[in-house]
Amino acid sequence: MPPERLLGLVARGDEGAFEQIYDRLAGAAYGLIRRVVRDPAQAEEVTQEVMLEVWRTASRFDPDRGSAATWVLTIAHRRAIDRVRSTTASVAREQRVVEVEVPADYVADVVEANLERERVRRCLDGLTPLQRESITLAYYGGYSYPQVAGLLGVALGTIKTRIRDGLIRLRDCLGVTA
Amino acid sequence: MRLLRENQQGLTGVYAVGAMTSEAEREKFERHLRRCASCASEVRGLRDTATMLALAAAEQPPPELRVRTLAQVRRTRQLPPQVEPRRGSGAKRWAPRLRLAVPVTVAAASLLAILVLAVAQVRVQRSLHQAQAQNAAIAAVLATPGARIVTGPTSAGGTTTAVVAVARHEVVVTTTGLPGLPAGRVYEMWLIGRTGARPIGLARPMPSGHTVPILAAGLARGDRLGITVEPAGGTRHPTTTPIVVLPLT
Repeated sequence: MPPERLLGLVARGDEGAFEQIYDRLAGAAYGLIRRVVRDPAQAEEVTQEVMLEVWRTASRFDPDRGSAATWVLTIAHRRAIDRVRSTTASVAREQRVVEVEVPADYVADVVEANLERERVRRCLDGLTPLQRESITLAYYGGYSYPQVAGLLGVALGTIKTRIRDGLIRLRDCLGVTA
Repeated sequence: MRLLRENQQGLTGVYAVGAMTSEAEREKFERHLRRCASCASEVRGLRDTATMLALAAAEQPPPELRVRTLAQVRRTRQLPPQVEPRRGSGAKRWAPRLRLAVPVTVAAASLLAILVLAVAQVRVQRSLHQAQAQNAAIAAVLATPGARIVTGPTSAGGTTTAVVAVARHEVVVTTTGLPGLPAGRVYEMWLIGRTGARPIGLARPMPSGHTVPILAAGLARGDRLGITVEPAGGTRHPTTTPIVVLPLT
Protein backbone atom coordinates (compact mmCIF):
# COMPACT_ATOMS: atom_id res chain seq x y z
CA MET A 1 0.00 0.00 0.00
CA PRO A 2 1.44 3.44 -0.85
CA PRO A 3 2.44 5.43 2.25
CA GLU A 4 -0.04 8.17 1.32
CA ARG A 5 -2.89 5.72 1.83
CA LEU A 6 -1.28 4.34 4.96
CA LEU A 7 -1.28 7.85 6.44
CA GLY A 8 -4.99 8.07 5.70
CA LEU A 9 -5.48 4.94 7.80
CA VAL A 10 -3.19 6.28 10.52
CA ALA A 11 -5.38 9.38 10.69
CA ARG A 12 -8.27 7.07 11.55
CA GLY A 13 -6.37 5.51 14.40
CA ASP A 14 -4.99 2.42 12.63
CA GLU A 15 -1.97 1.34 14.69
CA GLY A 16 -0.99 -1.36 12.18
CA ALA A 17 -0.76 1.25 9.43
CA PHE A 18 1.36 3.39 11.74
CA GLU A 19 3.78 0.49 12.27
CA GLN A 20 4.20 0.22 8.52
CA ILE A 21 4.87 3.96 8.23
CA TYR A 22 7.36 3.63 11.05
CA ASP A 23 9.15 0.74 9.38
CA ARG A 24 9.39 2.59 6.10
CA LEU A 25 10.32 6.06 7.26
CA ALA A 26 11.70 6.03 10.80
CA GLY A 27 15.13 5.01 9.48
CA ALA A 28 15.32 8.00 7.16
CA ALA A 29 13.99 10.29 9.89
CA TYR A 30 16.52 8.96 12.40
CA GLY A 31 19.40 9.18 9.93
CA LEU A 32 18.52 12.75 8.97
CA ILE A 33 17.99 13.83 12.58
CA ARG A 34 21.26 12.25 13.65
CA ARG A 35 23.12 14.14 10.96
CA VAL A 36 21.66 17.40 12.22
CA VAL A 37 21.81 16.94 15.99
CA ARG A 38 24.81 14.58 15.96
CA ASP A 39 24.27 13.14 19.41
CA PRO A 40 22.68 9.65 19.01
CA ALA A 41 20.76 9.86 22.30
CA GLN A 42 19.22 13.20 21.34
CA ALA A 43 18.56 11.91 17.85
CA GLU A 44 16.57 9.05 19.34
CA GLU A 45 14.53 11.43 21.46
CA VAL A 46 13.78 13.69 18.51
CA THR A 47 12.91 10.73 16.27
CA GLN A 48 10.41 9.53 18.85
CA GLU A 49 8.88 13.01 19.05
CA VAL A 50 8.65 13.13 15.27
CA MET A 51 7.01 9.74 14.88
CA LEU A 52 4.56 10.61 17.62
CA GLU A 53 3.75 13.85 15.82
CA VAL A 54 3.12 11.83 12.65
CA TRP A 55 0.64 9.73 14.60
CA ARG A 56 -1.04 12.75 16.21
CA THR A 57 -1.29 14.93 13.12
CA ALA A 58 -1.81 12.37 10.34
CA SER A 59 -5.18 13.95 9.60
CA ARG A 60 -3.37 17.14 8.55
CA PHE A 61 -1.37 15.41 5.82
CA ASP A 62 -2.36 16.81 2.42
CA PRO A 63 -1.26 14.63 -0.51
CA ASP A 64 -1.72 17.58 -2.86
CA ARG A 65 1.24 19.29 -1.27
CA GLY A 66 3.73 16.44 -1.47
CA SER A 67 4.40 12.78 -0.80
CA ALA A 68 4.00 11.08 2.57
CA ALA A 69 7.77 10.68 2.81
CA THR A 70 8.24 14.40 2.22
CA TRP A 71 5.67 15.22 4.88
CA VAL A 72 7.25 12.95 7.51
CA LEU A 73 10.81 14.00 6.71
CA THR A 74 9.93 17.68 6.70
CA ILE A 75 8.64 17.25 10.24
CA ALA A 76 11.84 15.37 11.11
CA HIS A 77 14.04 18.10 9.67
CA ARG A 78 12.14 20.86 11.46
CA ARG A 79 12.19 19.12 14.82
CA ALA A 80 15.90 18.42 14.47
CA ILE A 81 16.53 22.08 13.76
CA ASP A 82 14.30 23.16 16.65
CA ARG A 83 16.46 21.00 18.87
CA VAL A 84 19.82 22.36 17.76
CA ARG A 85 18.68 25.96 17.60
CA SER A 86 17.17 25.89 21.07
CA THR A 87 19.78 24.04 23.10
CA THR A 88 23.31 24.69 24.15
CA ALA A 89 24.23 22.09 21.60
CA SER A 90 24.48 25.00 19.24
CA VAL A 91 27.68 26.08 20.96
CA ALA A 92 29.36 22.77 20.35
CA ARG A 93 28.03 22.71 16.83
CA GLU A 94 30.09 25.70 15.87
CA GLN A 95 33.17 23.52 16.03
CA ARG A 96 31.62 20.69 14.14
CA VAL A 97 31.08 22.62 10.96
CA VAL A 98 34.10 21.10 9.30
CA GLU A 99 32.79 17.62 9.95
CA VAL A 100 29.57 18.23 8.14
CA GLU A 101 31.22 17.67 4.80
CA VAL A 102 29.06 14.70 3.86
CA PRO A 103 28.26 12.44 2.09
CA ALA A 104 31.20 10.06 2.17
CA ASP A 105 30.64 8.61 5.61
CA TYR A 106 26.93 7.95 5.77
CA VAL A 107 27.12 4.75 3.83
CA ALA A 108 28.97 3.11 6.68
CA ASP A 109 26.17 2.70 9.21
CA VAL A 110 23.71 1.33 6.78
CA VAL A 111 22.34 -2.10 7.35
CA GLU A 112 21.02 -2.89 3.91
CA ALA A 113 22.74 -2.04 0.69
CA ASN A 114 20.88 0.69 -1.05
CA LEU A 115 21.09 1.46 -4.73
CA GLU A 116 19.06 4.59 -4.19
CA ARG A 117 21.72 5.88 -1.86
CA GLU A 118 24.41 5.25 -4.43
CA ARG A 119 22.37 7.10 -7.00
CA VAL A 120 21.91 10.10 -4.70
CA ARG A 121 25.61 10.16 -4.04
CA ARG A 122 26.46 10.07 -7.71
CA CYS A 123 24.06 12.92 -8.36
CA LEU A 124 25.51 14.93 -5.47
CA ASP A 125 28.93 14.39 -7.01
CA GLY A 126 27.63 15.95 -10.20
CA LEU A 127 27.03 19.31 -8.52
CA THR A 128 29.53 22.14 -8.35
CA PRO A 129 31.39 22.16 -5.02
CA LEU A 130 29.57 25.30 -3.92
CA GLN A 131 26.16 23.86 -4.79
CA ARG A 132 26.95 20.64 -2.99
CA GLU A 133 28.32 22.31 0.11
CA SER A 134 25.43 24.76 0.34
CA ILE A 135 22.86 21.99 0.11
CA THR A 136 24.56 19.59 2.50
CA LEU A 137 25.25 22.29 5.08
CA ALA A 138 21.67 23.49 4.89
CA TYR A 139 19.93 20.13 4.81
CA TYR A 140 22.20 17.68 6.62
CA GLY A 141 23.83 20.35 8.72
CA GLY A 142 20.60 22.12 9.67
CA TYR A 143 22.01 25.59 9.07
CA SER A 144 19.90 28.51 7.91
CA TYR A 145 20.91 30.05 4.62
CA PRO A 146 22.52 33.15 6.21
CA GLN A 147 24.55 30.76 8.38
CA VAL A 148 25.54 28.78 5.30
CA ALA A 149 26.54 32.03 3.59
CA GLY A 150 28.65 32.93 6.62
CA LEU A 151 30.29 29.51 6.80
CA LEU A 152 31.21 29.54 3.15
CA GLY A 153 32.06 33.24 3.00
CA VAL A 154 29.66 33.85 0.13
CA ALA A 155 26.99 36.51 -0.40
CA LEU A 156 23.45 35.71 0.73
CA GLY A 157 21.98 36.00 -2.77
CA THR A 158 24.60 33.63 -4.13
CA ILE A 159 23.72 30.99 -1.56
CA LYS A 160 20.02 31.19 -2.38
CA THR A 161 20.80 30.71 -6.05
CA ARG A 162 23.30 27.91 -5.51
CA ILE A 163 20.90 25.96 -3.31
CA ARG A 164 18.13 26.32 -5.86
CA ASP A 165 20.30 25.54 -8.90
CA GLY A 166 21.87 22.59 -7.13
CA LEU A 167 18.51 21.16 -6.11
CA ILE A 168 17.15 21.54 -9.63
CA ARG A 169 20.17 19.70 -10.96
CA LEU A 170 19.74 16.99 -8.33
CA ARG A 171 16.06 16.73 -9.11
CA ASP A 172 16.75 16.22 -12.80
CA CYS A 173 19.58 13.79 -12.11
CA LEU A 174 17.37 11.73 -9.77
CA GLY A 175 14.38 11.94 -12.08
CA VAL A 176 12.07 13.31 -9.41
CA THR A 177 8.74 14.26 -10.93
CA ALA A 178 6.67 16.90 -9.22
CA MET B 1 6.54 44.44 -6.29
CA ARG B 2 8.25 42.61 -9.09
CA LEU B 3 11.48 42.63 -7.13
CA LEU B 4 9.69 41.30 -4.09
CA ARG B 5 8.23 38.48 -6.10
CA GLU B 6 11.59 37.55 -7.56
CA ASN B 7 13.04 37.58 -4.08
CA GLN B 8 10.40 35.17 -2.90
CA GLN B 9 10.80 32.97 -5.95
CA GLY B 10 14.52 32.69 -5.31
CA LEU B 11 13.68 31.13 -1.95
CA THR B 12 12.18 27.92 -3.36
CA GLY B 13 15.43 26.01 -2.85
CA VAL B 14 16.07 27.45 0.60
CA TYR B 15 12.55 26.52 1.65
CA ALA B 16 12.86 23.01 0.24
CA VAL B 17 15.98 22.24 2.27
CA GLY B 18 14.42 23.77 5.39
CA ALA B 19 16.98 26.57 5.65
CA MET B 20 14.69 29.52 6.34
CA THR B 21 15.88 31.71 9.17
CA SER B 22 12.64 31.69 11.13
CA GLU B 23 9.12 30.38 11.23
CA ALA B 24 7.88 33.86 10.34
CA GLU B 25 9.93 33.85 7.16
CA ARG B 26 8.69 30.39 6.32
CA GLU B 27 5.06 31.35 6.84
CA LYS B 28 5.49 34.41 4.68
CA PHE B 29 6.88 32.25 1.91
CA GLU B 30 4.05 29.76 2.30
CA ARG B 31 1.56 32.59 1.84
CA HIS B 32 3.41 33.49 -1.34
CA LEU B 33 3.20 29.88 -2.50
CA ARG B 34 -0.56 29.95 -2.26
CA ARG B 35 -0.62 32.75 -4.82
CA CYS B 36 2.14 31.50 -7.08
CA ALA B 37 1.27 28.22 -8.75
CA SER B 38 4.55 27.90 -10.61
CA CYS B 39 6.51 28.42 -7.38
CA ALA B 40 4.36 25.83 -5.61
CA SER B 41 4.99 23.30 -8.32
CA GLU B 42 8.73 23.96 -8.28
CA VAL B 43 8.77 23.68 -4.49
CA ARG B 44 7.02 20.34 -4.67
CA GLY B 45 9.71 18.86 -6.88
CA LEU B 46 12.51 20.37 -4.83
CA ARG B 47 11.08 19.15 -1.56
CA ASP B 48 10.77 15.64 -2.96
CA THR B 49 14.40 15.97 -4.02
CA ALA B 50 15.38 16.93 -0.47
CA THR B 51 13.43 13.87 0.66
CA MET B 52 15.72 11.73 -1.49
CA LEU B 53 18.63 13.20 0.44
CA ALA B 54 17.00 12.12 3.68
CA LEU B 55 16.22 8.65 2.39
CA ALA B 56 19.85 8.36 1.37
CA ALA B 57 20.89 9.17 4.94
CA ALA B 58 18.72 6.45 6.44
CA GLU B 59 20.16 4.51 9.34
CA GLN B 60 18.73 1.66 11.33
CA PRO B 61 17.34 3.21 14.51
CA PRO B 62 17.77 1.23 17.74
CA PRO B 63 15.02 -1.40 18.04
CA GLU B 64 13.98 -0.09 21.49
CA LEU B 65 12.98 3.14 19.82
CA ARG B 66 10.31 1.29 17.86
CA VAL B 67 8.98 -0.39 21.00
CA ARG B 68 8.90 2.89 22.93
CA THR B 69 7.27 4.82 20.09
CA LEU B 70 4.56 2.24 19.51
CA ALA B 71 3.82 2.09 23.22
CA GLN B 72 3.49 5.86 23.34
CA VAL B 73 1.28 5.89 20.26
CA ARG B 74 -1.12 3.52 21.95
CA ARG B 75 -1.77 6.05 24.72
CA THR B 76 -1.79 9.21 22.64
CA ARG B 77 -4.91 10.84 21.33
CA GLN B 78 -4.87 12.08 17.72
CA LEU B 79 -5.79 15.51 16.41
CA PRO B 80 -9.04 15.79 14.48
CA PRO B 81 -8.77 17.05 10.89
CA GLN B 82 -8.72 20.76 10.37
CA VAL B 83 -12.12 21.88 9.19
CA GLU B 84 -11.88 25.47 8.14
CA PRO B 85 -14.88 27.37 6.88
CA ARG B 86 -13.90 29.69 4.05
CA ARG B 87 -15.28 32.99 5.27
CA GLY B 88 -18.19 34.63 7.05
CA SER B 89 -18.46 35.09 10.77
CA GLY B 90 -21.69 33.12 10.96
CA ALA B 91 -20.05 30.06 9.55
CA LYS B 92 -17.13 30.41 11.91
CA ARG B 93 -19.41 30.50 14.90
CA TRP B 94 -20.98 27.20 13.98
CA ALA B 95 -17.89 25.47 12.74
CA PRO B 96 -16.86 23.78 15.99
CA ARG B 97 -20.17 21.97 16.09
CA LEU B 98 -19.40 20.43 12.74
CA ARG B 99 -16.02 19.04 13.62
CA LEU B 100 -15.88 15.39 12.67
CA ALA B 101 -15.01 12.50 14.91
CA VAL B 102 -13.43 10.66 11.97
CA PRO B 103 -11.15 12.34 9.50
CA VAL B 104 -12.37 13.09 6.07
CA THR B 105 -10.79 11.48 3.05
CA VAL B 106 -8.10 13.99 2.39
CA ALA B 107 -9.25 14.79 -1.11
CA ALA B 108 -12.62 15.81 0.24
CA ALA B 109 -11.22 18.30 2.72
CA SER B 110 -11.56 21.40 0.58
CA LEU B 111 -15.05 20.46 -0.47
CA LEU B 112 -15.87 19.87 3.14
CA ALA B 113 -15.04 23.50 3.83
CA ILE B 114 -17.73 24.52 1.36
CA LEU B 115 -20.22 22.05 2.74
CA VAL B 116 -19.59 23.02 6.32
CA LEU B 117 -20.16 26.60 5.34
CA ALA B 118 -23.25 25.58 3.46
CA VAL B 119 -24.67 23.62 6.32
CA ALA B 120 -23.82 26.40 8.72
CA GLN B 121 -25.81 28.79 6.60
CA VAL B 122 -28.94 26.70 6.42
CA ARG B 123 -28.53 25.94 10.04
CA VAL B 124 -30.29 29.15 11.01
CA GLN B 125 -33.34 28.27 8.97
CA ARG B 126 -33.87 24.89 10.51
CA SER B 127 -34.23 23.24 13.85
CA LEU B 128 -31.00 22.40 15.58
CA HIS B 129 -31.86 18.73 15.60
CA GLN B 130 -32.52 18.55 11.88
CA ALA B 131 -29.38 20.45 11.02
CA GLN B 132 -27.22 18.27 13.20
CA ALA B 133 -28.65 15.08 11.77
CA GLN B 134 -27.99 16.41 8.28
CA ASN B 135 -24.43 17.40 9.23
CA ALA B 136 -23.71 13.98 10.63
CA ALA B 137 -25.05 12.28 7.53
CA ILE B 138 -23.01 14.46 5.20
CA ALA B 139 -19.94 14.10 7.37
CA ALA B 140 -20.31 10.34 7.23
CA VAL B 141 -20.29 10.40 3.43
CA LEU B 142 -17.22 12.63 3.33
CA ALA B 143 -15.43 10.45 5.85
CA THR B 144 -16.00 7.24 3.92
CA PRO B 145 -12.69 5.71 2.87
CA GLY B 146 -12.40 5.88 -0.88
CA ALA B 147 -14.97 8.65 -1.26
CA ARG B 148 -14.39 10.44 -4.54
CA ILE B 149 -15.09 13.95 -5.73
CA VAL B 150 -16.67 14.36 -9.14
CA THR B 151 -17.14 17.80 -10.64
CA GLY B 152 -18.35 19.11 -13.94
CA PRO B 153 -19.56 22.34 -15.55
CA THR B 154 -23.21 22.81 -16.43
CA SER B 155 -24.37 24.09 -19.80
CA ALA B 156 -26.08 26.98 -18.01
CA GLY B 157 -22.84 28.07 -16.33
CA GLY B 158 -21.50 27.22 -12.90
CA THR B 159 -20.18 23.94 -11.61
CA THR B 160 -21.67 20.96 -9.91
CA THR B 161 -19.71 18.93 -7.38
CA ALA B 162 -20.54 15.52 -5.96
CA VAL B 163 -18.85 13.50 -3.26
CA VAL B 164 -19.52 9.86 -4.05
CA ALA B 165 -19.26 7.19 -1.39
CA VAL B 166 -19.89 4.02 -3.35
CA ALA B 167 -19.40 1.87 -0.26
CA ARG B 168 -22.31 3.62 1.46
CA HIS B 169 -24.39 3.98 -1.72
CA GLU B 170 -24.60 7.66 -0.97
CA VAL B 171 -23.70 10.88 -2.68
CA VAL B 172 -23.61 14.52 -1.56
CA VAL B 173 -24.24 17.14 -4.24
CA THR B 174 -23.66 20.86 -4.26
CA THR B 175 -23.30 23.44 -7.00
CA THR B 176 -21.78 26.84 -7.37
CA GLY B 177 -22.36 29.68 -9.80
CA LEU B 178 -25.66 28.46 -11.24
CA PRO B 179 -27.41 31.47 -12.85
CA GLY B 180 -30.56 32.76 -11.19
CA LEU B 181 -33.90 31.54 -12.54
CA PRO B 182 -37.11 33.46 -13.24
CA ALA B 183 -39.79 33.27 -10.56
CA GLY B 184 -41.63 29.98 -10.58
CA ARG B 185 -38.65 27.93 -11.83
CA VAL B 186 -36.20 25.82 -9.82
CA TYR B 187 -33.20 23.59 -10.41
CA GLU B 188 -34.06 20.00 -9.63
CA MET B 189 -31.48 17.24 -9.11
CA TRP B 190 -31.84 13.64 -10.24
CA LEU B 191 -30.10 10.34 -9.94
CA ILE B 192 -30.33 8.79 -13.38
CA GLY B 193 -29.98 5.04 -13.50
CA ARG B 194 -31.04 2.11 -15.64
CA THR B 195 -34.61 2.35 -14.46
CA GLY B 196 -34.97 6.07 -15.11
CA ALA B 197 -34.52 9.33 -13.23
CA ARG B 198 -35.38 9.71 -9.58
CA PRO B 199 -35.65 13.16 -7.96
CA ILE B 200 -33.25 13.77 -5.07
CA GLY B 201 -33.99 17.38 -4.25
CA LEU B 202 -34.20 20.99 -5.31
CA ALA B 203 -31.11 23.18 -5.46
CA ARG B 204 -31.64 25.88 -2.88
CA PRO B 205 -29.27 28.82 -3.33
CA MET B 206 -27.32 30.32 -0.47
CA PRO B 207 -25.76 33.77 -0.21
CA SER B 208 -22.31 32.23 -0.82
CA GLY B 209 -23.29 31.27 -4.37
CA HIS B 210 -23.37 27.58 -3.49
CA THR B 211 -26.52 25.55 -3.23
CA VAL B 212 -27.45 23.69 -0.08
CA PRO B 213 -25.79 20.27 -0.21
CA ILE B 214 -28.17 17.44 -0.94
CA LEU B 215 -27.61 13.97 0.39
CA ALA B 216 -28.99 11.14 -1.71
CA ALA B 217 -29.08 7.50 -0.65
CA GLY B 218 -29.55 4.38 -2.74
CA LEU B 219 -26.80 5.18 -5.21
CA ALA B 220 -26.33 2.30 -7.65
CA ARG B 221 -23.43 1.47 -9.93
CA GLY B 222 -23.77 3.30 -13.22
CA ASP B 223 -25.89 6.10 -11.73
CA ARG B 224 -25.42 9.57 -13.11
CA LEU B 225 -26.30 12.93 -11.63
CA GLY B 226 -28.58 15.19 -13.62
CA ILE B 227 -29.89 18.74 -13.08
CA THR B 228 -32.89 20.17 -14.91
CA VAL B 229 -34.93 23.37 -14.71
CA GLU B 230 -38.44 22.59 -13.46
CA PRO B 231 -41.55 24.41 -12.24
CA ALA B 232 -41.43 25.61 -8.62
CA GLY B 233 -41.86 22.74 -6.19
CA GLY B 234 -40.21 20.29 -8.56
CA THR B 235 -41.65 17.45 -10.59
CA ARG B 236 -41.56 13.67 -10.36
CA HIS B 237 -39.98 13.22 -13.77
CA PRO B 238 -37.67 15.58 -15.63
CA THR B 239 -39.50 17.72 -18.18
CA THR B 240 -36.57 19.61 -19.69
CA THR B 241 -33.13 18.76 -21.06
CA PRO B 242 -30.57 18.43 -18.26
CA ILE B 243 -28.02 21.23 -17.98
CA VAL B 244 -25.53 18.64 -16.76
CA VAL B 245 -25.25 14.85 -16.68
CA LEU B 246 -22.38 13.65 -14.55
CA PRO B 247 -21.31 9.99 -14.30
CA LEU B 248 -20.90 9.21 -10.60
CA THR B 249 -19.57 5.66 -10.34
